[in-house]
Amino acid sequence: MSGDLLGILPEIIVAALAIALLMVELGLKRERARVIVPALAAIGLVAAFAAGPLTTARTELFGGLLVVDSFTSFFRAVFLGLALIAVLVSPPYLERRGLPVAEYYAMILFSTLGAMTITLSSDLITLFLGLELMSIPVYVLAGMQRRDRFSNEAAMKYFLLGAFSSALLLYGFTWLFGIAGTTDFAAIAAAIGRAGLTSGPVLVALALITVGLGFKAAVVPFHQWTPDAYDGAPTPASAFMSVAPKAAAFAAAVRIFFGPLAPLAADWSTAFALLAVITMTAGNAVALAQRNVKRMLAYSSIAHTGYILAATAAFGADTAAAAGVLFYLAAYGLMNIGAFASLLVLDTEGTRGATLGELAGLAKRHPLAAFVFAVFLVSLTGIPPTVGFIAKVFVLQPVLDAGFTWLAVAIALNAAVAAFYYLRVVVQMYMSEPEEGAPRVVSGWIVEASLAVTAAAVVVLGIVPSTLYSWALAAAAPLFSVPR
Amino acid sequence: MLLTALVLIPALGILPILLASRSAAAVRVIAVAVTLLELAVSLLVAARFTVGEAGFQMVESVPWLPSLGVRYELGIDGISLTLLVMTTLLTFISVLYSTKVITTRVTEFMIAFLLLEIGMVGVFMALDLFLFYVFFELMLIPMYLIIGIWGGPRRVYSTLKFVLFTLAGSLLMLVAIVAVYLASGPEGGRTLSLVDLIAGRGRFSADFQVWVFLAFALAFAIKLPMFPFHTWLPDAHVEAPTAGSIILAGVMLKAGGYGFIRFALPLFPIGVQAWLPVIITLSVIGILYGAVVAMVQKDMKKLVAYSSVAHMGFVTLGIFVLNEQGMMGAVLQMLNHGIVTGGLFLFVGIQYEKTHRRLIAELGGLANRWPLYTTCFAVFTFASLGLPGLNGFVGEFLVLLGAFRFAPPTGLGGSFWGPVAALGVILAAVYMLWMFQRVMLGPVREAYAKLPDLSPIEMACAVPLVVLTVVLGVFPQPVIAVIEPSLKHVLALATDPSIQVAVR
Repeated sequence: MSGDLLGILPEIIVAALAIALLMVELGLKRERARVIVPALAAIGLVAAFAAGPLTTARTELFGGLLVVDSFTSFFRAVFLGLALIAVLVSPPYLERRGLPVAEYYAMILFSTLGAMTITLSSDLITLFLGLELMSIPVYVLAGMQRRDRFSNEAAMKYFLLGAFSSALLLYGFTWLFGIAGTTDFAAIAAAIGRAGLTSGPVLVALALITVGLGFKAAVVPFHQWTPDAYDGAPTPASAFMSVAPKAAAFAAAVRIFFGPLAPLAADWSTAFALLAVITMTAGNAVALAQRNVKRMLAYSSIAHTGYILAATAAFGADTAAAAGVLFYLAAYGLMNIGAFASLLVLDTEGTRGATLGELAGLAKRHPLAAFVFAVFLVSLTGIPPTVGFIAKVFVLQPVLDAGFTWLAVAIALNAAVAAFYYLRVVVQMYMSEPEEGAPRVVSGWIVEASLAVTAAAVVVLGIVPSTLYSWALAAAAPLFSVPR
Repeated sequence: MLLTALVLIPALGILPILLASRSAAAVRVIAVAVTLLELAVSLLVAARFTVGEAGFQMVESVPWLPSLGVRYELGIDGISLTLLVMTTLLTFISVLYSTKVITTRVTEFMIAFLLLEIGMVGVFMALDLFLFYVFFELMLIPMYLIIGIWGGPRRVYSTLKFVLFTLAGSLLMLVAIVAVYLASGPEGGRTLSLVDLIAGRGRFSADFQVWVFLAFALAFAIKLPMFPFHTWLPDAHVEAPTAGSIILAGVMLKAGGYGFIRFALPLFPIGVQAWLPVIITLSVIGILYGAVVAMVQKDMKKLVAYSSVAHMGFVTLGIFVLNEQGMMGAVLQMLNHGIVTGGLFLFVGIQYEKTHRRLIAELGGLANRWPLYTTCFAVFTFASLGLPGLNGFVGEFLVLLGAFRFAPPTGLGGSFWGPVAALGVILAAVYMLWMFQRVMLGPVREAYAKLPDLSPIEMACAVPLVVLTVVLGVFPQPVIAVIEPSLKHVLALATDPSIQVAVR
């Protein structure tokens, strides 16, 4: 039993940390809490990262309810890293808007805990628990600005559609349980291998689970909540929301579709490929029309869902497909959280967030923020030498290997379209003069340092991606070595 | 290590520029010093180059992405050496000239230029397809910023158009590169190293070659640019600052022609045969179209830009007639166009800085006031229209010779394409001389009668180009000797699909 507990030490640390933050704040003055609480959260996240192994052989814990393998380790690092960045860039914004401190950080930590739980799951129940624990705190984060009606709208929409998708997912899980008579992944895989898609119930389960996870990952046509939620939420929360839940949803998708549903791969992979093309094309097309940068980034994140989904569809390429998904998620996490966080240098109090015009001349008003934002945008476009480019290659490779040439061409054309709206922001920042009445520029050294380090990571990983990719490959391996 | 040094010198040069960013004067001095050092090292590379060998020399190869079989592999042969030295020379001249005319955001400008130089020298040295792609794309963002920040009134539109056109083509090439990787061998034995790919090119089926060649050709045709993908070029040139125009026309367009010769031809000989009629036709259309449109231009810069479209038509024509004269002409045309058109853009820029006029109708009589300027400009004009004795003649003559000898098994042969392409040379004489006459001759205009002739820095920029224009026109043999062995090898690979051994 103590061995079991030791195996989930990182999760225990995060859970304890979240509860501790809520209690610590009670004994602190407001001003001090604004410094100490995030500092504690950051230290705790680093400790949680240090408490887990980087790669590990597959170990079953708690009688097979949880499993720790390299896949878990990889995603632990991704989620903890993203939470750390989110924690570090949030304090000045919370102070400006007078948002509650402990609750905010606790919600980020609880959500991170849920995301980590997903990657521990080898059982439908654990997976669902993890998904809900990940989602519910994010609804709260979206609505944290109680007096802002857009924030309210964001939380309400996100909650209703999120709850709806959870219900669909759970319903799908019950069908799986009905077919297999168990919630254990390996046993389900064996049962489905016997039943096949020709059996109606399997088809229903497959459809429900696809739709349920599609909502969480913002796959078109289940994406409608995304722009409103990202736009209305407090900006640092949007940064976190746009990356962690998406990574968690894909972690869940990979766990399920590459695990118990793998025998049906021939049936779902083409459907995924079609959804991927629809998702990236719709995301990019609508992003072209956006003037509000947060909404543009929201639609662009939908397009990126499409690219990741394309790699998921390439199941036929084995580990390369899963490694492509994992690498892309890590890369996307860095560049997208960075892009949203770059907006934090503008004090857009009382508006709906920075418009393109308000970014005009940012290179003169805040050179560092403009530069890192440009780096993130170039990376999102997929131009070397950034990690975004390498990630696209690692998606294209399995997609072509699995025989989806048309999908690879669609990715290439979409990336060219996306360049237009990403580079338009660079145009505003570098090639236009500041406008009258543009929002005040605010700065804080921790935010700037975090942005600079994240941008440096985006470039360094673009030049020497080998280590991260090998890690992703190692993390993908256990998915394919489990008996099905 | 010399080739890696060429990649690293501009990269490391960024650091002192950042440290000195408070003083624009210091930044300028450092940038000139760095590009001069780069030029010196490239000349050292040329000095150590063994003339007469066909294969790649000074090869450096280190694993970069082992899981994808991607290597950091650099090497040069006669073709790349020629373009490499041209690149470092033109970059040096551009930076030197920019010290005078770029007055805003000097630090950023020089950093962008050094980043651009990394991409440009890398493109001509990369022997791994992935690495080539990275350098190919690395050129994009710096040029985007150079046009977009320091360009003319319509710079934003032009620079976005430039990036989107280029990116659309190159992303499809990326898909093709990944496809080549997957087809290069069984899992675990895959590679993107050019030499290994050529050795194993028997694996590429005819069907595969046809499609993959198309994807590569599209990327290179947009970069070059070939008619009808040229529409970004006039916009980009007109808005770009002078240094940007010099590099764009002088070097970046050559990345397209070089890509054809280095990668598309040796890797996909069957693909070449399949698309050859289309490319020849488009090349000749480009030659005539570029020339006709250049004739009616009112703006000097736009005229030179359209003349580039015509000149690049000669390059693709020369490459795809698939004989020795044609391809030699194409490589020389790339080199000579870099020098001559680089010079023309430099001189249009110099003139514009003085008079603030670029419309041909507003100019006239410059010859009376600026003898030095006019002499240099005349040299470039005559070289551009292909006057024997100047370098422009050599390339175009060889391309035409090759075109006349073009004898495909079916379809129109050299007796059709040769004379039609030769019309382009006549048209070039018309538009270049007409421009020269209207700008240089006639009475002086009051508005700029008192403006000075070339300054010492402008002379320093112009002299190497003028000298090369004359020397390469009179005595091109040394350059031909450098190029010839490598070129014959490429040609053999391109025309005989059964050859599977590459020269290491």
